[in-house]
Amino acid sequence: MGMNKPSILIYINEADPDILNEVCAGIEEEGIPYEIFSKEEMDLEYLSFNSANDSILGAGIGIFGGKVALSLRSLPRGTYIYYLENPTDSESRNIGANGARAVKRMPFKD
Amino acid sequence: MKLIAGVDIGNSTTEVCIGGIKEDGRIRYLSSCKRATTGTKGTLANVSGIKDALEEAMGILNKSVNELSLIRINEATPVIGDTAMETITETIITESSMIGHNPSTPAGAGQAVGTILYMEHLNQGKAEIPYIIAAGSETTYEEIARQINQYSNRLNIAGLILQADEAVLVWNRLKNKIPVVDEVKRIYQIPEFKVAAIEVALVGQSIRMLSNPYGIATLLKLNGEETKAVTPIAKSLIGKRSAVVIKTPHGNVKENILPAGEIYIESDQIYSVNIDSGAERIMEVLENAGTIKDISGQADSNIGNMLNNIKTGMGKVIEETDRNIKITDILAVDTLAPVPISGSLAGETCMEKAVGIAAMVKTEQLPMRKIAEELKRQLHIYVKVAGVEAIMATLGAITTPGTTLPLAILDLGGGSTDAAIIDRDGKVKATHQAGAGELVSMLIQTELGLTSRHTAEQIKRYPLAKVESLYHMRLENGGMHFFEEPVEPKYFGNVVLLHPDEMIKIEEDIPLEKIALIRKEAKRKVFVKNAVRALLKIAPDHNLRSISNIVLVGGSAEDFEIPEMLMEEFANYKIVCGRGNIRGTEGPRNAVATGLVLSYAGGSHGNE
Repeated sequence: MGMNKPSILIYINEADPDILNEVCAGIEEEGIPYEIFSKEEMDLEYLSFNSANDSILGAGIGIFGGKVALSLRSLPRGTYIYYLENPTDSESRNIGANGARAVKRMPFKD
Repeated sequence: MKLIAGVDIGNSTTEVCIGGIKEDGRIRYLSSCKRATTGTKGTLANVSGIKDALEEAMGILNKSVNELSLIRINEATPVIGDTAMETITETIITESSMIGHNPSTPAGAGQAVGTILYMEHLNQGKAEIPYIIAAGSETTYEEIARQINQYSNRLNIAGLILQADEAVLVWNRLKNKIPVVDEVKRIYQIPEFKVAAIEVALVGQSIRMLSNPYGIATLLKLNGEETKAVTPIAKSLIGKRSAVVIKTPHGNVKENILPAGEIYIESDQIYSVNIDSGAERIMEVLENAGTIKDISGQADSNIGNMLNNIKTGMGKVIEETDRNIKITDILAVDTLAPVPISGSLAGETCMEKAVGIAAMVKTEQLPMRKIAEELKRQLHIYVKVAGVEAIMATLGAITTPGTTLPLAILDLGGGSTDAAIIDRDGKVKATHQAGAGELVSMLIQTELGLTSRHTAEQIKRYPLAKVESLYHMRLENGGMHFFEEPVEPKYFGNVVLLHPDEMIKIEEDIPLEKIALIRKEAKRKVFVKNAVRALLKIAPDHNLRSISNIVLVGGSAEDFEIPEMLMEEFANYKIVCGRGNIRGTEGPRNAVATGLVLSYAGGSHGNE
């Protein structure tokens, strides 16, 4: 796919726009670059697992409809750092922030 | 075979040793165990802990407690330790005037000066005045950025203070890049229309202007008198990543020296020393005073109240009036305590000078006989108070493989550090010093500003590590440890304690190096100091070089680094020093309980 820039990857399909906005804001506040790609797969596990594995930073977030999950490259498929359905705005913001904090090796926000 | 039990009641733990006496009079050690001491050492509350410990030790042998034919309790030294802490300086701000904190992501390095204006009053701003805008979290970052951009054409906006964690988000959307401080929780307590200076540090650095009194003076145009007044503010902002200082014309900040008071040391005469002069001087006066009858403090001063509280507390426990309770030793230690600054905006703290004191209370006699009678009444087993604690500990210590007479023991306990020397003829000389494990915990708790004593105790006990990824952690000695399974996210990036069963996460945000440094310093300040002090008192000719062997026993001898610290110290005097290994199996524990069983077999059973 030619993605060589160090960034957190966000793979989305029919993503809830509010969730996406807040996730992006969370990553941005922590100062880490991110890129968003629309995918065809109807499967959060796929989106999350592949985003983490394709990211040079080893961190990725999948959003499928109202579901969102944070993965790291080292984690086996189907396991997530965080997984939420229909999260609140601040929960979405934290998932983004924690993706960035995983890259920065900082403790996660609750 | 006749079964007898040795029971040692310590400040923190109760230890039991069960021995079987064969027909020929020889001993077989059968089992041992330790339990937390219930209640204060020497009180009837100890009985329930003793019974539990006996049941456990007998349970190991599949026997019940009533199969014992004799229980031997130590004649506990009538000393009880207690600790207290007093700060001797305090910083007071009479009008809220500063915020200094460490938001993880402020934005726009640099400093700015301006008049504080709330976001919703932007339309009242005047063109000629520089402003610092304060915005609450009810406004979104997009809206804040939009309004600042809109007004920056008309007004001189120099800086921004946010309530939410959104500094980078807002800054990225600003046309004019200005310093942005965020995560100021009580934003509406910032007084509007006052002049303020804000600063955000460069990446990887801490602030430079606001942590320097002349920096504050430059930014806020202060005169010499006012500059002197802001010095405590500058001091408390050292090391911060961002800060706000507000100029309050009628505000006042000062560092008070509290009337700490004098300590009176009574021996052949009364020596007095002021707490302000520091721990070193106090200890010097104490050493020169000779045999001490009592120690007290100046009435209505901090130290006076502190020593009185110790006496009254002990008095309640052992049901004696204060008059009979004498403090015969103290250990004073200099320390720093983070104390909340009264009048600050965001709960800032300032490191204040403090003195930690462990005191040892000597009473006429601990009511061990009462404990023995109560135990006898409940268990219907003959209970005897036998042997002085120090002698029993030395007897137990000699069972460590590789020891010879003459021998010194250091009993590193929870409440006191005790030392004894046994010479070739079996004569024992003993001493007790205030200050041990509990003082170490208190120092760790104070210096790290921990809310719970329990956390401090755990920091004292276990080595540190930092979880660097889901699969590995960096140990404090530099080593790496890898996990088979990914670790739980809650540990990620955190400093943890390596408890044998599970990792304990440290909730406070303190760097690993700082925790390790404070832990080691606290142990050195208490145990190395006390070990030397104790041995000097009882060594022949008060010369440490006349001692050749030291065996370390007691709970704190099990610590993972205290024995090594003492070994290093005593290596300077060419002394063989090491952690005891009672009966070759027990480690440094169980010395007194073992000594009690051993002394029974040693011939004293003829008169029982």
